[in-house]
Amino acid sequence: MEEELQQLIEQAEKDIFACSRPNDLLNVKAKYLGKKSLLSSLYAQMRELPAEERPAYGSLINETRKRLEDLIEEQNRVIKENTWKKSELKSAIDLTMPGIFSSRGGLHPLTVIRREIDEVFLGLGFEIAEGPDIDDDFHNFDALNTPLDHPSRNLADTFYLEGGGLLRTHTSTVQVRVMEKYPPPIKIISPGRCYRNDKPDPSHSPVFHQVEALVVDKGISLADMKDMLSQFASIMFGKNVSSRIRPHFFPFTEPSAEMDISCVVCGGTGCRVCKYSGWLEMGGAGMVDPNVFDILGIDSEVYTGYAFGLGIERIAMLKYNIPDMRILYENDLRMLRQFKGELR
Amino acid sequence: MKIALSWLAKYIEIEENTNELEEILTFTGIEVEAVENISALPETVFSAKIISAEAVTETDHLKRCLVDIGNFPYSEKKENGYLQVICGAPNCRSGMMSVIALPGSILPEMTITKAKIKGIESCGMLCSEKELGISDNHSGIIELSSETPIGITANELYELPDTIFELEITPNRPDLLGYIGIARDLSAKLKRSLKMPEINIPDAKCKAETMPLELVNKVPDLCPRYIARLFNKVELKDSPLWLKRALIKSGLRPINNLVDITNYVMLEYGHPLHCFDYDKLTPLPEKPKIPAIVIRRAYQNEPIITLDGKSYVLEGDEMVIADGIKPSAIAGIMGGNISAISETTKRIVLESAAFHPGSIRRTSYKHKISTDSSYRFERHLCAYSAADAAKRATQLICELTNAELCEVTYDSFPFPPKPLILGIRPSRYAQVIGYELEDEKIKDYLERLGLKFLQYGNWKQGKINNIAELYCHHTEEMKQGKTEFTELANCEHTHYYEIPPYRVDLEREIDIIEEIARLDGYHKIPVKTLPQRIMDRHSYRIKKIAVDYLISRGFYETLNYSFSEPNLLYKLGYKDGDRELEMITLKNPQSSNQSVMRTSLIPQLLQNLAYNLNRGEKNIKLLELGKTYHRQDVLSYEPYFLAGILTGLNKEEHWQEKASPLTIFWVKGIVEELLSFLHLENLSVQDIKVPFLSRTESAAYYLADKELAYYGKLTAAAAEKFDIDTIELKQDIWIVQFAMENIINATRTLKTQFQEIPRFPFVTRDISFLIADEIPYCEIVKTIAETDRNIISDVTAFDEYHGKQIPEGKRSLTLRLKLRDKEKTLTDERVDYLIDSVIKKLRETWQIIMR
Ligand SMILES: [Zn+2]
Repeated sequence: MEEELQQLIEQAEKDIFACSRPNDLLNVKAKYLGKKSLLSSLYAQMRELPAEERPAYGSLINETRKRLEDLIEEQNRVIKENTWKKSELKSAIDLTMPGIFSSRGGLHPLTVIRREIDEVFLGLGFEIAEGPDIDDDFHNFDALNTPLDHPSRNLADTFYLEGGGLLRTHTSTVQVRVMEKYPPPIKIISPGRCYRNDKPDPSHSPVFHQVEALVVDKGISLADMKDMLSQFASIMFGKNVSSRIRPHFFPFTEPSAEMDISCVVCGGTGCRVCKYSGWLEMGGAGMVDPNVFDILGIDSEVYTGYAFGLGIERIAMLKYNIPDMRILYENDLRMLRQFKGELR
Repeated sequence: MKIALSWLAKYIEIEENTNELEEILTFTGIEVEAVENISALPETVFSAKIISAEAVTETDHLKRCLVDIGNFPYSEKKENGYLQVICGAPNCRSGMMSVIALPGSILPEMTITKAKIKGIESCGMLCSEKELGISDNHSGIIELSSETPIGITANELYELPDTIFELEITPNRPDLLGYIGIARDLSAKLKRSLKMPEINIPDAKCKAETMPLELVNKVPDLCPRYIARLFNKVELKDSPLWLKRALIKSGLRPINNLVDITNYVMLEYGHPLHCFDYDKLTPLPEKPKIPAIVIRRAYQNEPIITLDGKSYVLEGDEMVIADGIKPSAIAGIMGGNISAISETTKRIVLESAAFHPGSIRRTSYKHKISTDSSYRFERHLCAYSAADAAKRATQLICELTNAELCEVTYDSFPFPPKPLILGIRPSRYAQVIGYELEDEKIKDYLERLGLKFLQYGNWKQGKINNIAELYCHHTEEMKQGKTEFTELANCEHTHYYEIPPYRVDLEREIDIIEEIARLDGYHKIPVKTLPQRIMDRHSYRIKKIAVDYLISRGFYETLNYSFSEPNLLYKLGYKDGDRELEMITLKNPQSSNQSVMRTSLIPQLLQNLAYNLNRGEKNIKLLELGKTYHRQDVLSYEPYFLAGILTGLNKEEHWQEKASPLTIFWVKGIVEELLSFLHLENLSVQDIKVPFLSRTESAAYYLADKELAYYGKLTAAAAEKFDIDTIELKQDIWIVQFAMENIINATRTLKTQFQEIPRFPFVTRDISFLIADEIPYCEIVKTIAETDRNIISDVTAFDEYHGKQIPEGKRSLTLRLKLRDKEKTLTDERVDYLIDSVIKKLRETWQIIMR
């Protein structure tokens, strides 16, 4: 019997190893382990044996069955792995051929910068306020403590409209409108289009974009403004960029200042971009003039505030090394495509 | 922990109603998990005596009782003025005082009526505690002490109505684990005085020699204090009603006077106690004849059977209270059964101790035993309150068991901790909490919490060992010639307090600051900045979503000047009188082509397109998000639009996945997809109003009368005006526009809501049929969906075919149906039946034939 089984195993091994497809293996399995197999008939003969011989006989058959099952499983694995290998080798691919890209477009660089600024200030707890581009003398000049004979009111500087109104020359108009409507505390930025009667040239455009910040609360000081500027500069331009303010004059702030950041091109050592000063001018700033508060009915003894304005075009040109502001308004796809990767 | 209002009111006056008190507790930092109101009972529920109780034949448990209701006026009295009541309670017996509810009484869960039970009349009901709504106990009828007079109402017996608060005590506040602790916190919060129980201990009548005891504390680190008081001639019996009802309402079962006293004091002081049978304590071998209590660690594999009959094998780490030989209790967790109080007990040892919380926690965890006692000891009970609890229990034992107190009190307290002194700076309070509080208020709150005010002074960093040291600290500076406090250097005004030992959680200045803030109320903390209110975040977000969507479809963003020239609109086909031509004119324009404010974004986009076509670009998709300007009142209305212009291929060219020219469905898809992202549904499709798009290849989407968007093909004529020759170009030019202000307003209240994920899989079926060209697809989809809205979850066009084998004026359309039943897996039969109904309905409605 033992010998018979040994022969069975040897024969089965040959058959099993010869299988190269799953179906062949199923047939072999039926042949050796199925109902009509030799093993099954041997098993059936067990009943005829004396009771004391049955355990040994039975375990011998079971061992054989186990051995065959293992062999089949092993071969099954071999067949599977061979199939995988084949499918991998089937086609020789030229991996240097181009992959499939999405057909995504891109934002205008000024939007990229504006969104970046929005994000910085939203993260610092500011709200974003918008207002009309077409506004009046009160919001653009009077409320901002700008005297009637101030040169900025000239036709040469400001666009006036038939039927009344003007195109705002700064987004400070939004600050005025917010202060009219909401009592302090106020912490806003107002991004938007501004208009000045400048002929287009490399650094001027009759339409341009500004972001102004306004913070009004009890206990707001120039130190808070300086602090905010340095935060903004480092987030926007990098940790190593420092900022400073210089005394200046604006009708609506007192004290007034101009703010600079250390040159992002040369790092402050001096270069063509910063005109060898090491500093880049960023915009105007200052403490809201008490007169402005008085005009708007905010108690200037209780509240103080600061404001500053940034030119979005200027920041974009600095950041992306764009030499001429006019390029930004040509909407040339060859320019726009360059900013496709600036995801905001 | 359950707290009954009636019991709490013994320690502090409560004027508030239940809701107010719940709010006060919550804002004191004691979370109220549940409030249960026990309502008052009718006057017809009162104490009554069972005169006789005889078994009703043919039943195994009913008894016919005659009940004495005294002088209570009731017409149905029988047999010598008694009432006949049938009762099924196992404990019902003659001579017993219980509570009866007369017919007509409305109880919490039933109304009592006169009834006939087994043919016998029953006038009223003898009640269990559960039936009166005062506890969950329904094991039998109420058993009052035999001294209770007849006719005392249940309201009086049980102090009803009452309210039970279930409180969640945070682990840092073990001092709140009893009524007095809660009352103390409330007294500080409500600024009302705390009424501590008056304790009078009678003279000790039992001589020390009568009850000698050997107390050995081998583990003072695990058991910092152990007080043992001894009592002789203890009479075990039922507790008086006031004690029983107090326990019942706090969720404990009365057992006997001694056990009830220890439970009562535990609930009152938050400090668990234990009693041993003195006569069952074995002496130490070296000191025979003197019963012993030995506090020690268990021996390895030392067995103990606890009160509840369970056996444990201790591992050696556990702390036990043993006698001279074997453990009598697992310390602080549960007593053993050998030394337990039994009916024969005459002499007892009362234990009041403090245990190391970590040791109790480990043992409780290891052997999975959790008791009211372990719950409290795990939370660090203080050694001083052990003495208070012992005194209170002593008083009650003497009063209620007629026991004689032994003259010796054993007290193992080897290292009494020094009282902690802490300084608190009002300035620091303002710095941390955010507002200032006056000295007097701070002092009042803290004194009510039991902190002892010592003095005002200057701030001293670090530990303060005693008050003298504090004086030293100040006099150092005084020596330098400064006599007034305010002259002291680095003067920081400070209060100094001695911390009561039961406030184990107060260890630093900041802990005290929290106490003051909590009691003054977190609602007093000022909010500095107003909530954000200026920004229109929705508008900001929708504009961003819309632009980003078009970018994802391949558009590049442009920015054009806000001014333009009127001529461009004429070129597009606008005529005088059109709203678009009502433009705001600049007084001082730089040039004629910048002379007006734009009313449409399209002309400049067309210019951008022409510009880029002229520079050799073929596949162009441009967008602009911008304002248009219209005169309104004295100033302007400046709505945002998002417009796009596109021509060429639908995607980037690729060697493998070929791009193809833009089709109207590609363009339509842009508009519809964005609108669907924004959940803009039930839109009507109408003809466009602009003059520059093909009439047949365009459409506008409206929500009510508001135009949200349109798309369409630019007419060749309009293109030509912008110097674009479409014939030469061989490409169509498409335009899309979104009216952002209308979209923003229409989406303000819409939001995505989660829908339950279907538990059963979809079945997909495709059906193809021939339909006349003039029958619109959307109508067919509607017809199909109406067949069975519960099952047909989606219908989409899968294929459309014109051409060979298809008759003129018809098309072959293949639709894919997604079917799903929310309740079960669809069977093939069900699906087939449904498809048949769909086909039938299509045939009947549209005369459509299957292919
Ligand atoms: Zn530089």
